[in-house]
Amino acid sequence: MTDEYNVLDGLYYTKEHEWAKKLGDGLVAVGVDDYAQKQLHEIVYVELPSVGTEVAQREAIGAVESVKAVSDMYSPVGGKVVEVNEALLDSPELINDDPYGEGWIAKIEAVSLDADLGKLLDAKAYREFLASL
Amino acid sequence: MVDFGGFAMPVWYEGIQAEHKAVREACGIFDTSHMGRTWAEGPDTERFLNYLVTNDVSKLEPFGGLYTVMCKPTGGIVDDLILYKFTDERYLVVYNASNRDKDFKWMKNNSKDFQVKLTDVSDKVAMIAVQGPKAEATLQKITEGDLGGIGRFNIGELKVSGEKCLAARTGYTGEDGFEVFVLDCPVEKPEKAMKVWNDLVGGGAVPCGLGARDSLRLEAGLWLYGNDIDESINPLEAGLRWTVKFKKQGYFVGQRALQKIRDEGVSRTLVGVMLEERGIPRHGYEVLDMEGKEIGIVTSGGLSPTLGVGIAMAYVPLGFSEVGTELQMRIRKNLVKGKVVKHRPFYDETVYGWKRDKK
Repeated sequence: MTDEYNVLDGLYYTKEHEWAKKLGDGLVAVGVDDYAQKQLHEIVYVELPSVGTEVAQREAIGAVESVKAVSDMYSPVGGKVVEVNEALLDSPELINDDPYGEGWIAKIEAVSLDADLGKLLDAKAYREFLASL
Repeated sequence: MVDFGGFAMPVWYEGIQAEHKAVREACGIFDTSHMGRTWAEGPDTERFLNYLVTNDVSKLEPFGGLYTVMCKPTGGIVDDLILYKFTDERYLVVYNASNRDKDFKWMKNNSKDFQVKLTDVSDKVAMIAVQGPKAEATLQKITEGDLGGIGRFNIGELKVSGEKCLAARTGYTGEDGFEVFVLDCPVEKPEKAMKVWNDLVGGGAVPCGLGARDSLRLEAGLWLYGNDIDESINPLEAGLRWTVKFKKQGYFVGQRALQKIRDEGVSRTLVGVMLEERGIPRHGYEVLDMEGKEIGIVTSGGLSPTLGVGIAMAYVPLGFSEVGTELQMRIRKNLVKGKVVKHRPFYDETVYGWKRDKK
């Protein structure tokens, strides 16, 4: 099963299929992963958080929608939203094409990065989790 | 695959948007064999059906079809359905998959005072919808008999892929097209239907799943039972007044209640809403007035692949039902602005749909 889904090493994952990537200086890029985009299939709409929004870890920061379904997006880390990927407003399919790259959703200035990342799954643990689904 | 009323059904084959586009621009096909189909036969058939449903069955000519609802004595909608007349004593009744057991029991229980025999053939007849501006041309290639002779909402007997079929010029997409009933094709022996399906695909038809079926019917402003209509909703508030014929001969189930509702007036009505800001409305979302007061609820919604905006059907108080009325919708934490629009269909009928200007 896991072979069907691309899981990148070096990222951190949630069981709700979000990813977080350390960018340095306490900054973290977040998005939804390959499993999520494949489950949703054609993504037609992304609701982004506002820049400046303070979010707690696991708090909803937006949503990713296909024609048929909505998937809430929960922030993998707590902190302040400092940038959002506005390209997704006109090209939501970037998440299907490149969920870990062009399809990033927001950048967050983390408040307690190490503690938050400690509660997430690394690539190996996440692959095992996907295999168990 | 998803569970739909107990049937394992594909949401898409290649992708909802491509399938949707195929139906609006060319030809798509849907396996609708899960729908309910019952033969009603016998000397009292017409009288029985006229008692059962709200529309006037006596107006039907042989090989004509009629869209109607049937109601509870309270006026609540048991289901929406299509009746096809073959003779005064033989009709085909086609109804929703999710209501198969309920409807058959309802018909049976209401038939006691009539000489009519009801035969559920849902599992003995396969059904394929062929829809889109190229539906007739695509289906004609594998059909013995002239499809051009079958008018809108009429039905004909012919052969498709060499098999005995009925073809009705109906559908659930807003487009021209046919619903093909493959006769004598039980679920445990689906070869005849598979042959028809494969021949259609060979002729260029695009297989479509439940996702496109839903987005197409929503754009056409067509009701989905369980979403837009159910037993707590009457046809007068659902925009189905035109299917209720109070002056027809004889009493029909729900007539008294519906007459009372008509005389007193409905308090809410089903409207179409088009969003003017980004967002996708969904079943169950709140509708608010511009002051932020909750006034109604979305019963069907989605992104219109044809129009590229969020569209919805919603029940609102009468004061908010005029075309052009501004409304808001709560989509998660946000209030999104929209307007009441003409919604049967939502799209421009000169460009899309069965009435479109022929090129």
